[in-house]
Amino acid sequence: MGDLLKPDLGLTVWTIVTFLCLVGILKAFAWGPLLKSVEDREARLKADREGAEKARSEAERIQKELEAQLAGVQAKSKVLLEAALRDGEALRAKLKAEAEADAAAIKAKTTLELAAEKDKLVGDLRKEVVNLSVLAAEKLLRKSVDAGVQKSVLDGFFKDLDSTKKAGSN
Amino acid sequence: MNFEHILAHHLVDHKTSHKVVATVAGLPVDLGFSPLIRTMWIACAVAVVSLTFAARSQSSLARVLRSMFEPVALFVRDEILEPIFGHHAGHYLPYFLTLFFFLLTCNLLGLVPHMSGVTANPWVTAGMAICTFGLIQYAGVKEQGLGSYIVHIVPGGVPLVLWPLLFVIEVFGMFAKCISLCIRLFANMLAGHVVSLAFLCMIFIFAEMSKAIGAGMIVPSVGMALFIYTMDVLVSFLQAYIFTFLTALFVGGAVHPH
Repeated sequence: MGDLLKPDLGLTVWTIVTFLCLVGILKAFAWGPLLKSVEDREARLKADREGAEKARSEAERIQKELEAQLAGVQAKSKVLLEAALRDGEALRAKLKAEAEADAAAIKAKTTLELAAEKDKLVGDLRKEVVNLSVLAAEKLLRKSVDAGVQKSVLDGFFKDLDSTKKAGSN
Repeated sequence: MNFEHILAHHLVDHKTSHKVVATVAGLPVDLGFSPLIRTMWIACAVAVVSLTFAARSQSSLARVLRSMFEPVALFVRDEILEPIFGHHAGHYLPYFLTLFFFLLTCNLLGLVPHMSGVTANPWVTAGMAICTFGLIQYAGVKEQGLGSYIVHIVPGGVPLVLWPLLFVIEVFGMFAKCISLCIRLFANMLAGHVVSLAFLCMIFIFAEMSKAIGAGMIVPSVGMALFIYTMDVLVSFLQAYIFTFLTALFVGGAVHPH
């Protein structure tokens, strides 16, 4: 085993030369491309992560804006709804008042018209009674005034009167 | 049977050729070829081919490999380097990624038959520790400037009288950190091989006493050796991580003295 520890400076020199050459060769041919691909991938991942974070913050900003807009729209719609309810109530009251006024006017007018029609009918009836009375009196004067004639005249008069009433009632 | 000879045969590097280029402190610097250097180069080739293929190809196999390597690379970057270096992590990342994958490949190849345990050799791990020491000095001077780096080797608030003493202690501490890195990796990787071989040698040791007992030891010895082998796979990942993490920690200490 003493041979193992026997100095071998040639081996040490070969080791140093071989290792330093290997450093140069691997630096030129292997580590450059390998580390570049690793760094490219890391840069890509970093860019993707930053993009995702930016998109997320943008989405959060848009969400906050939409929430603010939604709150504004809700407040505005509430105000508008209250105003519409107030306007509707006022319109309903106004229309009701107008309808009541119209109904009262129509009622008064109809009452007046009915009274006028009644008066007119009464006047017509009176005229008819007078005419019939005159007619009856005229017939009475033209014929002899015995009991039989008188009775037949009166019967004829009342018969005409009935027929006149019936005609009037129809 | 000589257990030490078996261990030496499996764990000690044997040069197949010799080429001494210099002598340092009476020790020859022999750059001759050996099975251990072959395994180290195979580990490098495996790392270069698999990592380059995973990084550059668009095939489904490359995607599978990339999905295996990327989490490791991200772990080294996010869990080891960024807490220590902050925004300087990218500058040191290729070094630490290479360090982790080189050690991991060498550790795992050491478990393959006919390959040598590269990181189970103290002179290989010494080379890695020297690289760490060099990186500590480079990072410290680069981030602070030479003067500020030397001044900040000693922690602030120390009385002037004690400053030279603490400076020597801190410099020794710097060497000690790197030596501890070297020994920790070497000892952990060597231990698995030693214990596995020890379990397998028990068969032959008991067979010398009685062939029946030796035969009876086959199943438990092989079972235990396989268990240690499985543990070695885990230790390979763990030691690669520990070496990388501690190197980052020591370099971070030089970059940020406060």
